[in-house]
Amino acid sequence: MSWGPAVTTIVLVALQLAVFTAFAPLLTGTIRRTKARLQGRRGAPLMQPYRDLVKWWGKTPLVGGTSGPVARHTPAVVLAALLVASLLVPFVAVRPPLAGWGDLFVVIGLLALARFAIALAALDAGGAFGGMGASRDVAISALAEPGLVLALAGAALAAGSSDLATMSAFGVHAGVGLLDPAHLLSAVAAGIVIVAETGHQPVDNPDTHLELTMIHEGMLLEASGRSLATLVFGSELKLVLLAAVFAAAFAPFGAATELTPLPLAIGALAGIAKLLVIGQVLALLDATVAKMRILALPDLLGLASLVALVAIGTQLIPLGS
Amino acid sequence: MTPAPLAFADALPWLLALTVVPLALASVAALVRPTARLAAPLTVVGSVGAAALGVALLAGAGTLDVRTGSLVDGLSVVDLRYDSLGAVFLVALGLSAAASAGSIVGTRARSRLEGAAFPAFLLAIVVVLGAANGFAFLFAWELMALLSAILVIGLRPTRAVLSAGYLYVAMTHVATVAILVAFAVLAAGTGAGLGFDAWRAASPALDPRARDVVFVLALAGFGTKAGAVPLHAWLPRAHPVAPSHVSAVMSGVMIKTGIYGLVRIVVDVLGGGPDWWGVAVLAIGAASAILGVLYALMQHDIKRLLAFHSVENIGIILLGVGASLVLAAHGATTLAAVALAAALFHSLNHAAFKTLLFLGAGAVLHATRVRDLNRLGGLARLMPVTALTFGVGAAAISGLPPLNGFASEWLTFQGLLGTAGETAVPPLVRFAGALAIGALGLTAALAVACFVKATGIAFLGLPRSREAATAHEASRPVLAALVGLAAACVVLGLGAGVASGTLTDVARSILPAGLASPVPVAAVTSLPRTEGAATYAALAGGLLIVIAAAGATFLVGRGMRRARRAETWTCGIEPAPQFQYTGTSFAKPIRLFFRRILLPERRVEVEYHPGTRVPVSIHYRGDVTLVLEDRVFRPAHALGVRAAQAVRRLQAGAIQLYLAYIVVAVLVLLLVTR
Repeated sequence: MSWGPAVTTIVLVALQLAVFTAFAPLLTGTIRRTKARLQGRRGAPLMQPYRDLVKWWGKTPLVGGTSGPVARHTPAVVLAALLVASLLVPFVAVRPPLAGWGDLFVVIGLLALARFAIALAALDAGGAFGGMGASRDVAISALAEPGLVLALAGAALAAGSSDLATMSAFGVHAGVGLLDPAHLLSAVAAGIVIVAETGHQPVDNPDTHLELTMIHEGMLLEASGRSLATLVFGSELKLVLLAAVFAAAFAPFGAATELTPLPLAIGALAGIAKLLVIGQVLALLDATVAKMRILALPDLLGLASLVALVAIGTQLIPLGS
Repeated sequence: MTPAPLAFADALPWLLALTVVPLALASVAALVRPTARLAAPLTVVGSVGAAALGVALLAGAGTLDVRTGSLVDGLSVVDLRYDSLGAVFLVALGLSAAASAGSIVGTRARSRLEGAAFPAFLLAIVVVLGAANGFAFLFAWELMALLSAILVIGLRPTRAVLSAGYLYVAMTHVATVAILVAFAVLAAGTGAGLGFDAWRAASPALDPRARDVVFVLALAGFGTKAGAVPLHAWLPRAHPVAPSHVSAVMSGVMIKTGIYGLVRIVVDVLGGGPDWWGVAVLAIGAASAILGVLYALMQHDIKRLLAFHSVENIGIILLGVGASLVLAAHGATTLAAVALAAALFHSLNHAAFKTLLFLGAGAVLHATRVRDLNRLGGLARLMPVTALTFGVGAAAISGLPPLNGFASEWLTFQGLLGTAGETAVPPLVRFAGALAIGALGLTAALAVACFVKATGIAFLGLPRSREAATAHEASRPVLAALVGLAAACVVLGLGAGVASGTLTDVARSILPAGLASPVPVAAVTSLPRTEGAATYAALAGGLLIVIAAAGATFLVGRGMRRARRAETWTCGIEPAPQFQYTGTSFAKPIRLFFRRILLPERRVEVEYHPGTRVPVSIHYRGDVTLVLEDRVFRPAHALGVRAAQAVRRLQAGAIQLYLAYIVVAVLVLLLVTR
């Protein structure tokens, strides 16, 4: 057996981890910057998210009231789940770093694992806001999940497999052929869901400082020091991860089909460009759309599920022949 | 497939003896010498025997026949055949029953009768799983139903328990009638006696309408036992009132006999059927999964919550069965085997984590005497092992990697995706598969919400009552059972590649032969594979998650060592237990999101100081409407009672009246026959 495949895997894993971890805070920085500009502010420097993380990482942590082992171990579980998930998603190439380890349902399962751990940690402190955030977060995710699963299933049906490498390769080969109604509708549905899952307007306000309106932030209220740094980094990583899943399933253009330097470089540039575009769209939403009442969310996220179903239905209609 | 050399073949009868004899002895011991407390250890031995028998059958891929001479008309008194399908459920039984019986080692049963009924109940399930003809099956089935009813009702039932018990007895008997008629149709239609083998051989020649009748009756009968919507009404009432070790086996194993029966009759004996069979099973599965988890979320009684989750999990299992029926009907045998393996795997996994959760809930109940989540809290400090193992079970049932629940849900997703993607299947049926994907996604996310609630509200935060504040850790036998089951969830999760491979072989052995898939299909494996088909590398991926988490713990944990403790932020007021979210408030967003289905009711009564608007007391009561029970079954039941009362007027008790009836009847007969 040659060492070739193993070395390739190790290189790809290292590359993807480096890009994702290095880029995640920057993406959040660009979103905040654009949002500030759109609101007529100058905004914080692009590097501010990194500085925040470094600051928190060095601080003496304060552990809230009744918090115990759950709150202590949650950051590690969340980070592990998201890092493993990010290695399953094609980014630079159509082949994810850990090819054949897991498909899109495994990614969704790992996101659920992170959500489960954060929500439990939020309840650990015994305060009101943790419960409030956890309760809202799991409820909104419950509305979002069918939409996400159905939207990705739509793309998987077209590609013939829920394996993200197959889906990505299918998209690259289809090229402009991807611009068919079913595919676009699936993408719209996935887009709506990703807005909800990453805590952006109109579902959640990532910059809120009022406890009563917090969803994701509310769950982190009792975290501090390295815990807080890890959990905030985790949510930044989750944004990159979901954006990469979206790109792999719906817009894999530019991803390298062979593992040679030039295509890989193009793939990396294309990948980062796609992330930046997705980030700018989120910033635009943040700046222009008002937060919805929580009771209106079933309409929005139900819409995503229905659009995704329409997309699948369109694929199944037998045409001609 | 050529039968593998049966290395275990000689051991199989001994293993069956190791199952049957200890269980029978346990039952006798409980009747004769309850003070000796021999029943529980013997039951553990018998359960381990059942699991060993199941594993040996699966490893050797053989069968075990036990048959005595025929008595009447070719019908044997004992006619058992354990094949690999029964073996899967034997393993589930062994796992669940060994832990449940282990948890009561050293305690005394509530009464002699109940002490004796428990091992006998397990024995009846063992016989159900091996019965090779209709008579043996129904006999054991009925025994199982009656013994479980004894265990639910007990000797000194309260009114509520009695009402739950009666409902259970009534529904289980309606189910038995349905199965009885289904068997009668099979026996009459095939004219081949009562043996399952004979029915299987003759079933292709059976009239399609008769096959449809058998399917509908089997679905109704076995669906009732499994607790599938809309015939689930008994389950969330009966399971919570039984002692926890009985609830654990009823939920973990007994309802699975419904799945076993359905697969045995519909897939194995009938060999599948038209598309609408599969779609009907998919629809019932989706309805059970979604309604089960939604109603579970609305419960604050921890055992009732778990019971509704059984409805949910049965729904997930049925999604796998339905997908496999559709796929097998169109010759996609490889994919059908994936879907059926998903159902079998989820049955096994559910036995592990639901037993764990029920025993954990039993430990909480024992320690606090409280089953209302809204009065619990902070138990993790007082019951650390129970909390940890309950957490593992909660993560497993929520379908989180790398635990076992995720592996079987992943396979179910693949089965459904296969249904939606298989070009041989008609488009409308494929769309049903797509709908089921959405339903499963919704169910999985709601299950996460529900088990964050159950675990977080009960075990984390501040205690909400004096009972919760003074709880104590469970006894050693209970802890041993909990730890063993948590380990089983981890092992089945990491070893999902081996387990699902074995179960796919089982599925293939009972599915009708069809075309093997030309391309590699989705599979749970131990190690990653690079064939381009969807893969979940359970062992490699699971270990990677564990290693990554350990590394991250090291990094993050170093900085947390110098942590100081500070008060939880509650806007500057000293934190009190009342500030925390309760189970009810935690579920409120979901209650409101799904209000069209749940139809929540809210009653607030405010009492004021006389003459002022200063409130003295505020009472809040909230509940949800169980649509099927409250809006369909209850009115139907009331209508039935009224009709019966109307008919009762005919029974006036006067002899003249009865003679008049006879005269009228004779007249009518004369008119009709002429």
